[in-house]
Amino acid sequence: MKFTLKIWRQRGPNERGGFVTYSVDEVSPDMSFLEMLDALNQRLIATAEEPVAFEHDCREGICGSCSLVIDGVPHGPDRGVTTCQLYMRRFADEKTITIEPWRAKAFPIIKDLVVDRRALDRIMQAGGYISVNTGGAVDGNTLLIGKDEAETAMDAASCIGCGACVAACKNASAMLFVAAKVSHLATLPQGKPERTRRVMAMVQAMDREGFGSCGNQYECEAVCPKHVSVRFIAMLNREYLRSGILGTKMPARSDPPHGESY
Amino acid sequence: MSRVKVFFNSSVNSKIVASLAGLGLVGFVIFHMLGNLQVFEGRDAINGYASILRDMPIFLWTARAGLLAAAGVHVGLTLRLALRNRRARSVAYAARRYRAASVASRTMALTGSLLLAFIIFHLLHLTVGVIDPSAPDGLDTQGRMDVYGKIVRAFSNPLYVGIYVVGQLILGLHLSHAVSSVFQTWGIEHAALDHLFKLVGSGVALLVVLGNLAIIFAVFLGLLRA
Repeated sequence: MKFTLKIWRQRGPNERGGFVTYSVDEVSPDMSFLEMLDALNQRLIATAEEPVAFEHDCREGICGSCSLVIDGVPHGPDRGVTTCQLYMRRFADEKTITIEPWRAKAFPIIKDLVVDRRALDRIMQAGGYISVNTGGAVDGNTLLIGKDEAETAMDAASCIGCGACVAACKNASAMLFVAAKVSHLATLPQGKPERTRRVMAMVQAMDREGFGSCGNQYECEAVCPKHVSVRFIAMLNREYLRSGILGTKMPARSDPPHGESY
Repeated sequence: MSRVKVFFNSSVNSKIVASLAGLGLVGFVIFHMLGNLQVFEGRDAINGYASILRDMPIFLWTARAGLLAAAGVHVGLTLRLALRNRRARSVAYAARRYRAASVASRTMALTGSLLLAFIIFHLLHLTVGVIDPSAPDGLDTQGRMDVYGKIVRAFSNPLYVGIYVVGQLILGLHLSHAVSSVFQTWGIEHAALDHLFKLVGSGVALLVVLGNLAIIFAVFLGLLRA
């Protein structure tokens, strides 16, 4: 197969970027999208050109490292998969494919297609954890959790934090990500003691990072590689209302409690 | 930072308050449409209805002040959110494809701004009477303000029919996303009822738009005459 690739190239965070067109030949239909980019990079290295920087790690759809907006859709045309699970047989031969980084003010570009997604880490540090003392492992089934709650928590916990929801949202909002984390922990007994404070702190951290607000357009759900449902956004709003009514003392410091200095 | 500022710095709080104010406005739009449908009962009915409202100045002006406040809060908060949202994506995508976002949901800021312009025009036209001042500010045979005559005069003119029809389409687009959105913003979701919540938005929008269009076209097509 043959493709023409329009790839966003940008040398560094403060450099001007632009599209560069490459043509790739002899692409196997069984190659993944990332393997196709690997092949391009091999060629660029051989001709002493700078290879295209893109993020990847596990290449089996669970780490949340890969990104790429492919022809205007985060993670490309297939639903429920990450870019590493997208295969070239999905594209028509001799097609032109546009490849862009996630675009959001909260995700500044580091180089080419690599963006800084630490804003999501900082939201997690604000409240995406439970405070428990470490010690011996608790016996199984000492804390019974209903099947429904376990399923709901698991559906929310399937979020891999790739940021496709932010990339797809017209407002670059991180609501689906925050909703998944808040819902996951608020559903389980281990997360309940801190649920009031958690939702307040995580939403505050989200707003602080410069993400937009939710417009209830559900574009996030449509591109989520893990099919995280927008029902969790309603659950987040409900948790937030609940916390507002019950009242909670926010930590006085504006920096996240587990914050590292970047 | 003051408590109020902290409260409204939260995007979720801003959305909840904006949706409350918006829902108040939706309530008025339905009430306004139902009240005006009395034009079909004839000159006496609608002029009588208008004079009942005007005979209760405290009620009328409280309602007007409330509407103005709701509109102010709704426009102010949504404008602030829209500007923040625009800043959240400073560089646009070269290629963009939407899978789920409806046209109505993507154009809320635009339809909202146009709607505000239309409402100001409508107030200047039929409430204050600055636009088209040659309109007979006449009274009917019983000495009441002749609302019926005003309506018939306005919608006999194709220019005003055009403006009001476009206004109604914009209103319908804005309402269809707004009303179904309220459920999600308030955290009301249900596996089986979510579909119904979506239909409520389109239903309310359709009801209001069809009701208003009925008046406009009834006059324009000569079913209601002076």
